[in-house]
Amino acid sequence: MKLNERSVAHYATCDSPADHAGFLRKRVERHHHHAHHHNATSYQRRWFVLKGNLLFYFEERESREPVGLVVLEGCTVELCEAAEEFAFAIRFDDAGARAYVLVADGQAAMEAWVKALSRASFDYMRLVVRELEKQLEEASKSLAACHKSPRRSSSSGRKRHLSNPALLPLQEKPTILENGYSTWGSGGGVLGGAACPDRDGGHAKPPPLPPRRRSAASSAAGSPVPGLPPAMPESPVSPETACFSKLHSWYGQEIAVLRREWQERQKRGHP
Amino acid sequence: VKKRLVKLVVNFLFYFRTDEAEPIGALLLEHCRITKEEENVFSISFVEEPERKYCFECDSEEQCQEWIEALKRASYEFMRRSLIFYRNEIQKMTGKDPLEQYGISEEARFQLGTRKQ
Repeated sequence: MKLNERSVAHYATCDSPADHAGFLRKRVERHHHHAHHHNATSYQRRWFVLKGNLLFYFEERESREPVGLVVLEGCTVELCEAAEEFAFAIRFDDAGARAYVLVADGQAAMEAWVKALSRASFDYMRLVVRELEKQLEEASKSLAACHKSPRRSSSSGRKRHLSNPALLPLQEKPTILENGYSTWGSGGGVLGGAACPDRDGGHAKPPPLPPRRRSAASSAAGSPVPGLPPAMPESPVSPETACFSKLHSWYGQEIAVLRREWQERQKRGHP
Repeated sequence: VKKRLVKLVVNFLFYFRTDEAEPIGALLLEHCRITKEEENVFSISFVEEPERKYCFECDSEEQCQEWIEALKRASYEFMRRSLIFYRNEIQKMTGKDPLEQYGISEEARFQLGTRKQ
């Protein structure tokens, strides 16, 4: 499957800040038909970089191109019952997609990675953005009607800064010409036209964290979030996310080919 | 000019031959520019190679505009900026950081002014 590799590699290595980065050991996934190989699992140390919903990995920290890419959509991140300590896995709803087993250097590193990866999906970001959009609308209305008593008294100690009465109308958004030319729209599209789910009387609930299998990670990662519903059921396999397993296989094959070539060279080098 | 089924999924644009279920390719939509070309046509180009344009011809001008609007908003980076914008506005209006309730207020990726260009 083709991919705009050069752009992807550029995005991976450009100086836009990464959301998380560090060394992890990645378990090597062997194909079933390589039965003649011994059964010991092996790991490769790679430099991982998380940008948005994309997890890149490089052979070395200084490498100019990633050797692999994991698209973090339709997946769960959970602690792993592997023989290794500090192991966690990225598993996909799409049953055909391979899982990624990764090992961190220590407890803190593992928790930081699990937390970062769990919140990396585009869908999660979109939920948060929509929620904030609603909150902004609500805050605007509250300020506009500042003579009335507050419609909700959710959190205590909430101050209102009425010293800035000039409200920024929701339609007027700044044009930001950084990082790839994207500009704000004029109120349409995703931001303005997002479908608003039903809300209960004036008290907005935070969106739930993405569905995750019950694991120690949910208590280890981050501060408790009030108002969360209990663990959501697994999201059904969506046809869209099947596309991403194609991307993973494609990159995985590249590695498999490189490994075979290396192994053959090693064999030839031995008398 | 080849007819393709094109599907926007999060920040990827997948394209298929019209009779096949598996995509033949994908474009990652980060650091890209969406440009209206001639009638019914838009193009996607990338920061590091701006002269290389992926052109798409639509059935109508209306469809063309819909795609341009959708693609401009498709990047993760665009959403991140939206989030930072809303967060800042809410904070100015209410004095409260709306990200605190999600436990993500300290994450570097949501801070204002940390993104360099």
